[in-house]
Amino acid sequence: MRSLGTFQSRKQATERTAAGTMLVLLAIWPLVFSSNSYWVGYILTQTFAVGIAAASLIFLSAYGGMVSLAQVALYGICGLVLGNLVTSGQAKGLHLGWSPWLAVAAAVGITTAIALLFGAIASRSAGIYFLMITLTFGVIANTFFGSVTTFGGFSGIAGIDTYTPGLVGNHVTQPARLYYIAFTVAIIVYLLIRYIVRTPFGIALQGVRDEPVRMRSLGYNVPLHRTLAFGLAGFMASLAGVLYAWSIGVVAPGTLDLASTVDLLVIAVIGGLARIEGAWLGAFVFFAIQTYVRNVSVPVLGGSFNTIIGFIFLAIVIISPNGLMGLWDMITRYAFGDRGGGSSEPFRELRRIVSDAWFRLKGGAPTRTQSRSETL
Amino acid sequence: MEGSRLNRLRTWKLLLPLAVGVVAISAVSATSLAARSARSATPIKIAIMTDCKGAFGGATEVDIGGAQAAFAQFAGGKPVNPKKPSAGMTGITISGRPVKIVGYGCGNDTVPLAISETKRLMEQLGADIMVGPLSGDEAVTVAHYAQSHPKKTFVIGTAGSQDPTLQIAPKNLFRYHGDGAQWNAGIGEIAYKKLHWRKAAIIMDDYSFGWTSAAGMIADFCGVGGKIVKRVFPPLNTTDYSSYVQQLPPPSKVDGYFWVVGGTGTGASLKAYEQAFGKVSPKKFIGNLFFAFLGNFQEVAPRLIGAYVGGFGTGPGLNTKQAKGYEAIVAKWYPGLNGGNYADGFVYNYYNAAWALIRGLKAVHGDISGGQAKLQAHMPRTNRSGYQVSNNGLVKLDSNRQAIQDQYPLQITKGPGGKPGLAITGWVPNVDQSFGGFFTKNSPPPGRSQPPCVKHKFPWTGKIHAVKNGVITKQIIK
Amino acid sequence: MSDYAATVRAQLDPTRILRLLPLGITLAASAFALVWVLFWAPHTNFGPAIDHPDQFFITLLNGIYFAAELFIVASGFALIFGLMRVVNMAHGSFYLLGGFIAYDMQQHMARGGDFFIPSSSINAWEWIVPALVASICIGALGLVVQQVFLRWNLGQDLRQALITIAISVIIADQVITHFHQGLARGLSWPGFIDRFVNLHAFGIQYSLIKLVVTALGVGVGVLLWLWIYRTRTGMIIRAGVDDRQMASALGVNIQKTFAIVFFVGSALAAFGATVVASQGNVATGQDGAWLLNALVVVVVGGMGSIFGAVAGALLYGLVFQFAASYLPTSATEYAVVFTFILLALVLGFRPQGLFGKPG
Repeated sequence: MRSLGTFQSRKQATERTAAGTMLVLLAIWPLVFSSNSYWVGYILTQTFAVGIAAASLIFLSAYGGMVSLAQVALYGICGLVLGNLVTSGQAKGLHLGWSPWLAVAAAVGITTAIALLFGAIASRSAGIYFLMITLTFGVIANTFFGSVTTFGGFSGIAGIDTYTPGLVGNHVTQPARLYYIAFTVAIIVYLLIRYIVRTPFGIALQGVRDEPVRMRSLGYNVPLHRTLAFGLAGFMASLAGVLYAWSIGVVAPGTLDLASTVDLLVIAVIGGLARIEGAWLGAFVFFAIQTYVRNVSVPVLGGSFNTIIGFIFLAIVIISPNGLMGLWDMITRYAFGDRGGGSSEPFRELRRIVSDAWFRLKGGAPTRTQSRSETL
Repeated sequence: MEGSRLNRLRTWKLLLPLAVGVVAISAVSATSLAARSARSATPIKIAIMTDCKGAFGGATEVDIGGAQAAFAQFAGGKPVNPKKPSAGMTGITISGRPVKIVGYGCGNDTVPLAISETKRLMEQLGADIMVGPLSGDEAVTVAHYAQSHPKKTFVIGTAGSQDPTLQIAPKNLFRYHGDGAQWNAGIGEIAYKKLHWRKAAIIMDDYSFGWTSAAGMIADFCGVGGKIVKRVFPPLNTTDYSSYVQQLPPPSKVDGYFWVVGGTGTGASLKAYEQAFGKVSPKKFIGNLFFAFLGNFQEVAPRLIGAYVGGFGTGPGLNTKQAKGYEAIVAKWYPGLNGGNYADGFVYNYYNAAWALIRGLKAVHGDISGGQAKLQAHMPRTNRSGYQVSNNGLVKLDSNRQAIQDQYPLQITKGPGGKPGLAITGWVPNVDQSFGGFFTKNSPPPGRSQPPCVKHKFPWTGKIHAVKNGVITKQIIK
Repeated sequence: MSDYAATVRAQLDPTRILRLLPLGITLAASAFALVWVLFWAPHTNFGPAIDHPDQFFITLLNGIYFAAELFIVASGFALIFGLMRVVNMAHGSFYLLGGFIAYDMQQHMARGGDFFIPSSSINAWEWIVPALVASICIGALGLVVQQVFLRWNLGQDLRQALITIAISVIIADQVITHFHQGLARGLSWPGFIDRFVNLHAFGIQYSLIKLVVTALGVGVGVLLWLWIYRTRTGMIIRAGVDDRQMASALGVNIQKTFAIVFFVGSALAAFGATVVASQGNVATGQDGAWLLNALVVVVVGGMGSIFGAVAGALLYGLVFQFAASYLPTSATEYAVVFTFILLALVLGFRPQGLFGKPG
């Protein structure tokens, strides 16, 4: 008992220190390293923005038990709506030329409404069905914007970054502004999630995650809770969409295609689907890999860096299904001596595979099948 | 005592990986710091943007090879591997200044990846100048990016959209080849005069490149008096074309079809036609570049022997010294590039983009200081591109920095060994982007109903020369 | 009396009405669509069916043929998902690789020199052998993937989906590297089916190839049905689906049956690719498109059911073709929207899909 308490407190202290250091570092980053605008203007700003979308995915997964593949579609929809409303002149789409703040409010509102609709349809499904239905939403959004030319069509809407509110300014000449805005929004979203999961709604949501049948018999409206959670996640994703549109400047059906949908899932999984912090960690690692794993040649197989990225992802999924945050939890458990949980997941898995193979080699032992609780 | 010692031990077990992590991170930042300090040194940094995934993923090596052949020929570059252009190039110098190709962009024909790759090349790798991108919508995005980054210079690799140089037209963006409409100039007139088409139907991909290509065909065909009786718009990359092809009038009701379905859709839509109306009769089909280029030739050409093709701004088999010279240069540095077909816009347009850039850099003696204003002012206004004949063999840029070039309508022929080949059928001199004022900055951009089918005289109407065996004849196509 | 009152009250219960709403909307929409196509259809290409029955029947046949094509590709995905609860996100990549293997095989057999071969110089074997070779190769690949990556994490749905995503990324890149740079390549059907047949109805001459594709779809469906519902292996598979532990306790080698299922499901991806590549072509980028097609078919039809896949493919195929043909000409860009209205209606009405068991 004592050792567990020590473990928790020591781990918490370490994490607090690390998080504090990180936040301070990020807060002063543009001041210290401002000359390298790629990090400020792209990698980190994108990390904050896309991390918000990933956080909405992890929020649904960790507290609602729903793995949604519609988050990319939602932030893409938000970006496209924003683009249609805010641009003017010869831009593609509707180019209505609204004032930027009004357009942002409308885009976020519309996206949240769509999310509620999606959520209402998907709320009666669970598990892998939920995943597939939300992926279908993604396909709908992508194909809709890809083929309906009225809203911009395949080419999408460019130049959104020139229609930003005064507060955001010109992203190219003042990248630090958007950086700080994205940073702030990311922190707000993080705190928002932390707050929500402690409210009665959040606790009921976790009840729905673990025991939907029991919650229903206790009088809770299970689909409604799921729908509201999905709407909330849609709201967060739409914030990511606004930031994305401002920083990239162009939103097109390609923004919400299958590859991008998979990318966001990869980000969430690299970070770890169990902890919100993982969203930004995953996003950062993802953009770093995208940027720096380039001029590598693949031995034997051949192919471009995409093969390498595939292998990296494969390795992460196999070794640590709970991503880097899971790896962190494992390391701390190991370091601070919490042996209560037994050996960690991948080692257990590895040992099982090896022993299984050994038995097979010896020609004995029927294959054991093992029904394990879903860990993801 | 025992416990605390153990605890300390375990703390070390945590700190050790952390320390390793910190060391790794500092190593990375040190590298990037080094990279940054190197940036302030002399080399001019050039990036080549192309696609390596998606529909045009196969074009990577071809594009890079085209561009680097120019660097090898005119700036002393040495291919690291003549079989694999993306292996890199060393030893490029211009007016004594070293030039470095810092990276290759990997797009997938979608806008978001084009912009993030452009940012990576320009901002992370710190390129000063970009050659690329590959496709129409990517070029629109890059044009917007160029507009907000006036201190960098962009030379489009090969892209067929109008907007980058007609509507957006930033001062630091150059295109030394035609757009989708220019690539189809003249073919409508040939249909009317050589094939005696009067009524035609058109099927086009429902997006900007489809509309732009179709615009060139419609403008010319209607310009001399033809009528478009039906326009059909399948969405891009439709899975099954049968219900769209079914909407076309049957071959008995029209003289022919303009076929502007691209990418993987070309072959699929032609097969759908065959299953609806019977065998393709090549003389009833005219395609845009997707009949013969962008990797489609092997798949669609065998059933289209005899059909006419709008073209790609290139002159396959053109028998001029200038054309042979260009082909010899590419063959010298990257023998067998693109299967030995150098008259492909992927090779040719990237080559000319890089060559013009080298000439611009030479004109300013490699001086790219002062926000590259000097370079942008001295980028060549003419270029001796391989297949150019009129204007003394010089492609000229208009006031929007867009090429005015000769266009060669093509025909798919039976080549040696019964394999399909390509031959030039006509020479359309000096095609400009506006079609002699027909398309303007303020006219509605090409779309489903734009341009309308109207009679109009273009600068080249009635001036298209017949081409026989790669030789431009004096004979006008009547 | 009070019983009657209770029944009335129950029938007027707002939640019940709300639940019936999707059904009402579905019926109303279907009725409207039917009336539109049959009697009205102004400003469309063909006009109403009553005036132009030939175009209507061609569209109908096209819908069924396209459904067959969808079913062949989707059946492997549906099989693996239905029986093993594995969302095989690599299905599209298997399709892609399979299509290129079949193409290379046909080129090799008929000496095409990497140029499209006209159907007149292709005989039956030059189509069947490539289809079989591709199916077996991809089946084997699927088997390897299942044994190495999916065997030891049974029941971890999401992790398995993620693993297949990683594999699909690798395969897609490898195809570009090793198979014609991933550029579009088309197979040819054997020459003797490349002709029209007279249907003796409204003077329609219809493509025999499309009828053959329809027959292939039916054939795959029937064989799968026989296999799963009429053989011992099928029985074991179904037992394994219903209660994995009980089945293994009874001495059934569940891993072996799962391996077989994965082999067959992957092989069907390659077979589907051969059909699609003969109808059109195979090229990079189609992997995602066909994975999503399979997904839509399975979600509409109901997850984990062969009948569901049939129904899903039929609905998708028919709506796809009719929307493209019977929308006013100025609005054809909205054709794709109708597929999604279909999806939304189905999911609103039956979240588990038409034939799916409640999750």
